[in-house]
Amino acid sequence: EEWWYRSASGARIALRCRQHSASCRELAVRCPRLRLRSLSAATSAAWLAAYGLFVLTENSMVLSAAIIIMLVGLIIYLHFVKIDQESLLVIGSLGIQVTSSYASGKENTTFIEMSQVKDVVINEAIHMQKVIYYLCILLQDPGDPQGVSEVVPLFQSSKPRLDCLIEVYKSCQEILEQRKMAPQSS
Amino acid sequence: NSPSPLPERAIYGFALFLGSWFGFMLYLIWAYVPETWLFSLGLTYWPQKYWAVALPVYLLVAIGIGYILLFGINMMSTAPLNSTDTVTDNYAKKQQQKKFQEEAIPALRDIPISEVNRMFFLPEK
Repeated sequence: EEWWYRSASGARIALRCRQHSASCRELAVRCPRLRLRSLSAATSAAWLAAYGLFVLTENSMVLSAAIIIMLVGLIIYLHFVKIDQESLLVIGSLGIQVTSSYASGKENTTFIEMSQVKDVVINEAIHMQKVIYYLCILLQDPGDPQGVSEVVPLFQSSKPRLDCLIEVYKSCQEILEQRKMAPQSS
Repeated sequence: NSPSPLPERAIYGFALFLGSWFGFMLYLIWAYVPETWLFSLGLTYWPQKYWAVALPVYLLVAIGIGYILLFGINMMSTAPLNSTDTVTDNYAKKQQQKKFQEEAIPALRDIPISEVNRMFFLPEK
């Protein structure tokens, strides 16, 4: 139930799909974890630079400042920047829940009601200097049945490539189609 | 409004040519001739010679910054990923649907993104 793909930047990401019931599906994309060797490489480089500065300036505050900045920076990075897993929970009659969990354990959740959801589509847009595909939820405009009031991009940090997005898109569309057929079947 | 040569255009071109040569010669004289010689001729009201070097340098630095500025302005005016400008715009919202005629090529229109996605990514059974 877990497939390996690549993100837009080339890192390996894992997609896990769980079907809880006929109209409820959870799709989770797991980003690569923080590697110990890159963390120790960055730490040693920063501390060597601070030691070099200390040798030049003979001021010991440089060393303690470097240590404190590294520790605080690492905590801020793990809590606010490094995303561990992004998941999408689609419940047919209820809504869509988007969760991002950070490396420090923090979780951010957003829930969108099904009546507000117009469609889940794969859109392409210019991001920095590239054109990327990204999955997004189109929110319904209350006044205009054909209009789109808002675009909610999904999987912003893991940025899966098109092959992974197509799988997620097909899964979501299977559930979203049921809500169109439900009024006619009853 | 055709780009063909006209007598007036030839005259404007030649006047600009002479004017630019005159301006360039004036700039060289001002930059190189010592101030005492110019004063002895009676021409005392010139800008400082510092500007003879400063103005070209300003111009070149401005051109270099202009490259970076243009790149930055382009990046700032790109629509962010969460804006509706990536999906539709005013012209697409106001377009009128033409009636479908048999045996005719369908009229050109902006196809909604949901339809495009279904066509591309959902396989036809």
